[in-house]
Amino acid sequence: MNIIERILENINYIGAVALFLIGLRIVVLHSNLIKRIMGINIMGTGVFLFFVAIGNVSGGVVPIVGANPEGSTFVNPLPSVFILTGIVVVVSITVYSLSLVIRIYQNYNTIDQKELAELISEDNNEH
Amino acid sequence: MNIEQLPIINLILFLFMALLIPLLKRRPFKITLILGFIVMCLVLASSSHLLWHVNEVGSFSYTFGGHEARYGIEFLLTPFSALFTWVIIILAMIIYIYSSGDATEGIEQSEYGRYYVLLFILLLSMFGILYTNDLFNTYVFIEILSITTCAIISIKKKKDTYTSAFRYVMMNEIGSLSYLFGVALIYMATGYTNISMVSESIQVAFASYPFNIVIALAFMVIGLGIKAAIFPFHIWLPDAHSSAPSTSSAILSAIVIKVYLLVLVKILFSVFGIDILEQMNMPLILLILSGTAMILGSIFAIAQKDVKRMLGYSSVAQVGYILLGISLLSFLGLRAAFFHIISHGLMKTALFLSVGEIIFYKKTRKVNDFDGMGFIMPVAMGVFSIAALGMIGLPLTSGFISKLNLGIAVLENNYLVFLVILIISSLLNVIYYLPIIILAFLRNEKYHYRMTTIEKTPRTMITPLILLGILIVSLGLFPNVIMPYIEAAVETFIS
Repeated sequence: MNIIERILENINYIGAVALFLIGLRIVVLHSNLIKRIMGINIMGTGVFLFFVAIGNVSGGVVPIVGANPEGSTFVNPLPSVFILTGIVVVVSITVYSLSLVIRIYQNYNTIDQKELAELISEDNNEH
Repeated sequence: MNIEQLPIINLILFLFMALLIPLLKRRPFKITLILGFIVMCLVLASSSHLLWHVNEVGSFSYTFGGHEARYGIEFLLTPFSALFTWVIIILAMIIYIYSSGDATEGIEQSEYGRYYVLLFILLLSMFGILYTNDLFNTYVFIEILSITTCAIISIKKKKDTYTSAFRYVMMNEIGSLSYLFGVALIYMATGYTNISMVSESIQVAFASYPFNIVIALAFMVIGLGIKAAIFPFHIWLPDAHSSAPSTSSAILSAIVIKVYLLVLVKILFSVFGIDILEQMNMPLILLILSGTAMILGSIFAIAQKDVKRMLGYSSVAQVGYILLGISLLSFLGLRAAFFHIISHGLMKTALFLSVGEIIFYKKTRKVNDFDGMGFIMPVAMGVFSIAALGMIGLPLTSGFISKLNLGIAVLENNYLVFLVILIISSLLNVIYYLPIIILAFLRNEKYHYRMTTIEKTPRTMITPLILLGILIVSLGLFPNVIMPYIEAAVETFIS
């Protein structure tokens, strides 16, 4: 029972780490370029969830001064602020890499890593 | 104006220039180039002043918006950040002068403006990384840096640049997110992201949450290792560096990788501290990685037929040298690493720029085509030879001094194995650099003493090369000019 309780207590962190690992697996092992970009996004979501989970205080309220009765515990707002920046960064990375995929598709007519590798090695042999 | 505002003004100048370039699109391109040069001169002046100030008067910090450092972002000016921003701006200026000749190989005329926009944002992010004293802020600047470096690689409209840029962006992103995960774990254990505050409370945190700190260290070292091309994570580097335009390869190889290594130094020494590192056996792991990098990087370089790929693999080996200096965790080791960062920056810039000039005029990148090149392009090949001899570590060049320092540092810790590896790696350098010099100068007698065959190159391309050659030799002859500054920089980490 003890183990199950500990798992339930830390479910946020476990979920975050699981998302990070799933994302990493997709980035490293998938051969479809768009799926790899999705993998980056999943990895990013994992890290963001982790950050937000750190900031959570059980029983805490939204940290707005004046809106809550005095003496109530607030949720730590700082990690959420970090994550707003992080989301913007990952969106820009996604946009950039998707635009690269468009260019790759225009040039090679494929977005599969294995086919790309074959095409590139053919190109190199011709020269 | 207050001296504390100078670092921010540096960043604003870069940003202002990057925003101004698209507005000047309709004007002749010369105006942009001259304005950019003025901006760089201003930043050089202010960085030199800052370097003088932190060494003579003392370090200072600046907090944004008057928020206290705990909540806000803090810029910390130490001899370390001042020295390396100064080095970066000097190298960047040399590369900038070179690229303002028409040597931006492979970039279309209409893309020039965009290239310089990227260059200035790149400089902004590198300055930010070195100035900032906040882990999360470092992450934001790292991401700006990685997007701009990827963009600068893929700016050439050629097929293979897109695939190598894509691989680079994926690797880079894994690195950044690992770093961010490390930051999250440290924030969880200590409750700060400010580096000075983290370092004060990390010992307590390590006692109560050892698991967090160990994983955080692993994530951060791996994340920055991917970005700095530390040995097992170097696979993106040769592709990216060889397909980029020559001036960008010089920036990437000489400056960008070094910035990540400097962040690693900051993380290892300022955030975690030597005690925790030694408890976790981190020095041994890094030493093994650096040893394999030094040997295997050089061996891979020997096998290359493309000059720029060869230089890329040589960078992998050189990162190994720097990492060796860092992982000794001693004053002498870090001093040697910092000196090698500067001297390798100079030598790699010289190598990439001279090769860039040869590629620009001769349209060849094969090592075998360098036959008699010394008689056709004496200046480019001359500077190439100086830099290559520096890489090998011959006396009179700055490479000799950095290898000497590394050797002394290794002997201080009694790691004889690494002295042997250092020598073997230097000998391997001989195997791939010397044949090029011999091919260029000593073979093919038919080009001898025929002045008409010498290529006419624009002065903007020749001057920076000569400047680099002089700098390499003079740093080798008078290393003591810069040594006090390097020692002051080391003292910010190890007193």
